[in-house]
Amino acid sequence: MNKDELIICRCEEVNYQTLRDTAHKYQCTSRELKLRTRAGMGYCGGRSCRLMVDKIANSNEGEQDLTYISLKYQPPVRPIKFEDLGGDKN
Amino acid sequence: MANNRHCDVIVIGGGIVGSAIAYYCSKSELDITLLEKKELASGTSSKCDGNILAVDKDPGFDSQMSLKSQNLVHKLKEELEIPFDYRNPGSVLVCENELEMEAAQRWVDQQQEAGLDFRMLDREDLRNESSYLADDLFGGLECRTDSIVNPYMLTYAMGQGAKKFGAKIHTHTEVKNLYKNQKKIFVLETNHGTFTANKVVNACGAWAPYIGEMLDINIPIKPRKGHVIVASRQKPVASRNVMEFGYLISKFGGERQVDPITEKYGAALVFEPTESQNFLVGSSRQFNGYDTKVDHDVVKHIAKRAVRFFPKIRDMTVIRTYAGLRPWTIDHLPIISHVEEAPGFYIAAGHEGDGISLAAITGKVIEEMINGFETSIPTEPLRYDRFSMEERV
Repeated sequence: MNKDELIICRCEEVNYQTLRDTAHKYQCTSRELKLRTRAGMGYCGGRSCRLMVDKIANSNEGEQDLTYISLKYQPPVRPIKFEDLGGDKN
Repeated sequence: MANNRHCDVIVIGGGIVGSAIAYYCSKSELDITLLEKKELASGTSSKCDGNILAVDKDPGFDSQMSLKSQNLVHKLKEELEIPFDYRNPGSVLVCENELEMEAAQRWVDQQQEAGLDFRMLDREDLRNESSYLADDLFGGLECRTDSIVNPYMLTYAMGQGAKKFGAKIHTHTEVKNLYKNQKKIFVLETNHGTFTANKVVNACGAWAPYIGEMLDINIPIKPRKGHVIVASRQKPVASRNVMEFGYLISKFGGERQVDPITEKYGAALVFEPTESQNFLVGSSRQFNGYDTKVDHDVVKHIAKRAVRFFPKIRDMTVIRTYAGLRPWTIDHLPIISHVEEAPGFYIAAGHEGDGISLAAITGKVIEEMINGFETSIPTEPLRYDRFSMEERV
């Protein structure tokens, strides 16, 4: 199988080539790479691809002195229904 | 580090406002550099929604300013290389009771008088709008010019557009000190060397007061925290932005008929379908310093409010929540102004929840001010010195 076509983010269907090319073009942090490609922004919240997105962004040989930070975690810990979050069930 | 760099204009802040300023200034051939302490759209511009609205603006000056901005963004869609999920479906406000319907009618009348494309909606219209809306709503209103963008993509797109016109953008470059030297040139000391400029624009949003302090300028902006929920695509809930009429009351500080906690958090429904088919649900308003940690109890009340208006989303899924800081001013208008006390120093900040809506017109007006051209809108209501000395402290 062609490595480029490998799906890295399954939720948003982002492949390796898209991530690598975007990282190369913009020489950006993993956060910006995520926002530009949507990798890690889908249903699972990056639980599957987060490490790979971090790794692709941070393997850039850019000239910029970027502070290497990994992607953040935002609540909820896992997807939750509106009624469980705010409904009268609570 | 002998890293002395000079240009005509430096804009501090790489959010959507700073990027718009860099874009319009470089397009008019000004020599401009943008300094951003983190990266583009790393503050409020990525922790918000993407509505470009006139529907929630005070009728008259405020809503006309939005309309101008909408027209500019409409053109940006053609001008900029990077797509930013631009859509132009209009937006809807829904009313819970007769009292709100009466207020809505007055709102529509005033907006129409100001030349905007508004009209009332009845129950039947709401049913056609979305089958997910609650049956007991009285009606509402729509503004047909309202549009939606992806705020951080628009920031990136304007940033890239600015670069093409020759602007220089330095990210991860934090201004630590700012002063005027004996030759009346601004000196900006950063973690990446020293920059100098003839003019400086402070586009730091909620953080603008810190830059002001360096020049002994008091900027009466306070961070106001707002939460947003991201819900996963399942079925299309509505095709355009839907807000509760109470949002206006929450925004302008009036009395609402809701429970005390909803009132305390300023929780009011804002629904936005995104290009990715997910939807965003807001909103809240709290003065809580510079803290951006998600508060579970606030999110809970926003979710509750969403289910009140869209009962059938109760089994849909929330996948993410976040909070951002809206740069609040006492009269809900931004400061887009030259500062007489410090010639050459401009402020473009304080847009509260309207930064995405008003970024384009803000960038344009700053460019016109710097070039000494007539401005696209009257700028009197946006002047820095409109605040009394008391408010400034």
